[in-house]
Amino acid sequence: MTDVVLMPQARDRAVSQLWAFAAVSAALAGLTLVWMPFETRLIEGVPVTAKPLKFALSFVVYFATLALVVERLSEPVRRGLLLQTTVAVLGVCFLAEMAWMILQAARGEASHFNESTPFHLFMYQVVMGTGATLLVLGVALIGWIAGRDGAAHLSPGVRRGVVLGFVLSCVATLVVAGYMSSTGRFVGTPVTGATLPLLGWSTEVGDLRPAHFLSLHAMQVLPLLGLWLDRRGSPDARRILGRSAAVYAVLVAAVFLQALAGVPLRPL
Amino acid sequence: MSPDRLFDLANTLALAGWVVLLFAPRRWPGVTHVPRWGIPIALSALYAGLMLAYFDQAGGSYGSIAEVRQLFASDEVLVAGWTHYLTFDLMIGALMAERLDGAEVSRLVQAPVLACIFLFGPLGVLLSLGTEAAMRGGPLLRRIGGAA
Repeated sequence: MTDVVLMPQARDRAVSQLWAFAAVSAALAGLTLVWMPFETRLIEGVPVTAKPLKFALSFVVYFATLALVVERLSEPVRRGLLLQTTVAVLGVCFLAEMAWMILQAARGEASHFNESTPFHLFMYQVVMGTGATLLVLGVALIGWIAGRDGAAHLSPGVRRGVVLGFVLSCVATLVVAGYMSSTGRFVGTPVTGATLPLLGWSTEVGDLRPAHFLSLHAMQVLPLLGLWLDRRGSPDARRILGRSAAVYAVLVAAVFLQALAGVPLRPL
Repeated sequence: MSPDRLFDLANTLALAGWVVLLFAPRRWPGVTHVPRWGIPIALSALYAGLMLAYFDQAGGSYGSIAEVRQLFASDEVLVAGWTHYLTFDLMIGALMAERLDGAEVSRLVQAPVLACIFLFGPLGVLLSLGTEAAMRGGPLLRRIGGAA
């Protein structure tokens, strides 16, 4: 079988950087797992280790996705200053976010929404806020770079999925997470604290995190859809992807509006 | 020299080793041998001298928390114990840096990992080995995935 995505081009600095970020994030997830059995403290009813674990796993997926795309770009683009700088900035933001999150968890304090002192507020709003914004903008930038790189080893559906998925992911996340950062996670006040298993989303009041989750993962869903269409030999993959991106955006909006109305996601 | 002076000396030496390890180029063996061998050997000499001279005087031993606490009640043995951490953490840090270089892990990622070894020894070792394993394991997974 021929590989429709085509094999990655030679590894180089930007690519190995992205894989190294994914690798260190996987190691951080492992570190959180060995921490868990010893830890007894809770923040807002949730074990302090839950957040570093979720973020570490999320960053593994995030950087692996970027690495898989970037290693298929043409050599001049991969070695270009724009991409190298983008990757370095993403790495610094990621390392700062995880370091602060783990440090705060180890102190039994909240990292996000912590306005207890001017320093905590600065770390949350300036460091975490700027870091998260750059991490999200970087996705759209890499999507745009991939879309413009005519010599990239990307089949048509995958390329379309990368451009649409990365840009949609960025825009939707900026809206949802931006709103969430100014109001908090919940719409309503949880009484029992009932949540979905593993995900930790409220099942009693509106929770903005499901919409945040969906918006972030457009960057995996649409490229994978493109890959599937290309493998099936679909002739109008580009058109299908355009419509799928629109449907996905509506879905994110619906889940977001549901949370804003104070209605929780419920298990089926 | 007083235990306080020795403590400062050991800390300064170790810190110098970490600065070289974190920031100096790794092309020249003359430079890489400083954190790998030079400073650990100097710290080992300090440790050995202190332990030979003060271990017996301190009383205590390794068998229970109470015996270890008794050992560390002596400032000289406490400085020796601290020097033990510093020596081994730096040697392990140099070893891990070399392994991470081999796994194509850049300095940007190495810096926080090595800082964890400096500050929290084994915690940083777990992080370093985990990072290396994930870095080397990725291509392996891909080959398996590609073959399937």
